[in-house]
Amino acid sequence: MSYALNLLNGGAGNLAAYLAAHVLLCLLPAFFIAGAMTALIPKASITRFLGRTTPRHVSYPAAAAAGSLLAVCSCTIVPLFAGIYRKGAGLGPAITFLFFAPAGNIMALAYTGSILGAEFAAARFLLCLLFGIGIGLLMALLFWRDDASHDAQTDTLFADQASIGPAAIGVLLSLVALLIAGTLKLWPLTATVATVNLPLPWAEGWQATLFHWVPFDAAKGEEGVSVQGSLLIVLLLLIGATAWKGMENIVEGANRWTWIALGLAATTLLVAALRLTPQAGGLQIALTGRVFAVALTLWAVLRYARRLNPDDWQAWLWESWRFVKQIFVLLVVGVFVVGVIRQLIQPQWIQTLAGQNNLQGNAVAVVFGVFMYFPTLVEVPVARMFLDLGMHPGPLLAYLMADPELSLQSILMIAAVIGRPKTAAYVALVAAFSIVAGLLYGAWVDGMNPLWLATGLAAFAATLAAALAWLHHRQQRALQPL
Amino acid sequence: MLTVKILGSGCANCKKLEAVSREAAASAGLEAEFIKVTDMKAIMAYDLLSTPGLVINDKLVSSGRIPTQAEVRQWMGA
Repeated sequence: MSYALNLLNGGAGNLAAYLAAHVLLCLLPAFFIAGAMTALIPKASITRFLGRTTPRHVSYPAAAAAGSLLAVCSCTIVPLFAGIYRKGAGLGPAITFLFFAPAGNIMALAYTGSILGAEFAAARFLLCLLFGIGIGLLMALLFWRDDASHDAQTDTLFADQASIGPAAIGVLLSLVALLIAGTLKLWPLTATVATVNLPLPWAEGWQATLFHWVPFDAAKGEEGVSVQGSLLIVLLLLIGATAWKGMENIVEGANRWTWIALGLAATTLLVAALRLTPQAGGLQIALTGRVFAVALTLWAVLRYARRLNPDDWQAWLWESWRFVKQIFVLLVVGVFVVGVIRQLIQPQWIQTLAGQNNLQGNAVAVVFGVFMYFPTLVEVPVARMFLDLGMHPGPLLAYLMADPELSLQSILMIAAVIGRPKTAAYVALVAAFSIVAGLLYGAWVDGMNPLWLATGLAAFAATLAAALAWLHHRQQRALQPL
Repeated sequence: MLTVKILGSGCANCKKLEAVSREAAASAGLEAEFIKVTDMKAIMAYDLLSTPGLVINDKLVSSGRIPTQAEVRQWMGA
């Protein structure tokens, strides 16, 4: 009985720590950014670079951009993937898009950055971009003959022209600024500008109660729940309740609850940017530079959002709300389960299997990533758990590369669109490339000379470029009648 | 009698689109048959790059977004 309680406590503790200030400051803006990208960036502004006649040096980067900007939701990924493959730029760009979308979108990057650190997010982004284009090119090389004969439909689907309005760009940029202001751990943001002492005698007792409810072990990387954390959880519940009334029918116009929910969201961000410390006889509130940065960027978001036309901002709010409904619940459940499982895994297991940056460690991480299916973004807290349990950062990155790209579900879906032989080749390539990515990143963490790594990557890029030139040559020859 | 097809794999937006079009049909007093298309191949037969897609009498009228009730009524010819 006490064992089960212990497990539940681990889950609750993990969950509470994830709802702490630094995670909220990243997740809340990220949901709004994802919504804005889906609703405010017209798909044609990117897909027009993915038509059949587009040259390769445009279509591959465009496919990666589409993955990063348009495909936050699986609803978009499948049709866009099938469309690019059958009616557009072909197999290579479609694969690049498919590989890059789950790892290169704003939610995944922001969340990785706040949970695992900015270095991981940067490595994940760069290596996924490079290898996504690499895998796309290799697939196009392997199956070049099929590509010449695919669906001979017209290009009209990709011919639409559209551009993003200035107000939409303003909203997106100020939201990104908000995300950066909320998450960056640099001087003017972390500095304390002023402190205020509130005479709240219950604050200290409440903190003691919270620590009693959710005991934590700082040595294991656990965080516990602070007074600030409990306040934020209350605010989140209020947002949830009001958003349900205010956002569910936003397509038909805003109501009173919409504004209350949005006001609460802004309040949550501001409270998360404060630093609250319970003291003897009161609560000390520290105004950090972050509070002013968050307030300023919030004002900028509001200013630009008011210039959007009603259709646009309603669509924006709806998409953001949809992401919250779709992802947040999964995330909460996922984080809880991770906290429970963490109590069961012995650190020695992980250290033996993947404690070092070698081929075996990376391969184990990739195999685990392929066979385990975690819903959107849950791979990040899982990765955090492995890191705390002693996994080497190299294999961890290999796992982060392989897990969102490959799961049984996505393999089945890809097979339905491109057929089994191509799917098998894709899976093999992703596994191989993930292992290479893990080895590279691990070597870098272990202090290998960056110059060597840069040379290696440059050589890889050069090889791909040469292969591409050869492909082009061969296709030209094959198309010409002898 | 209208035939309304909702193209989509069953995500939140597809359910929302179905609700919006049902309400649009009801408020315009039109009789309509609603068909949900979830099979990817069948969806890709229409020219669209993102779901949800709305097909009225076999013509794709919108894709990748949720139209308002007024728009749907217009497409239904009410």
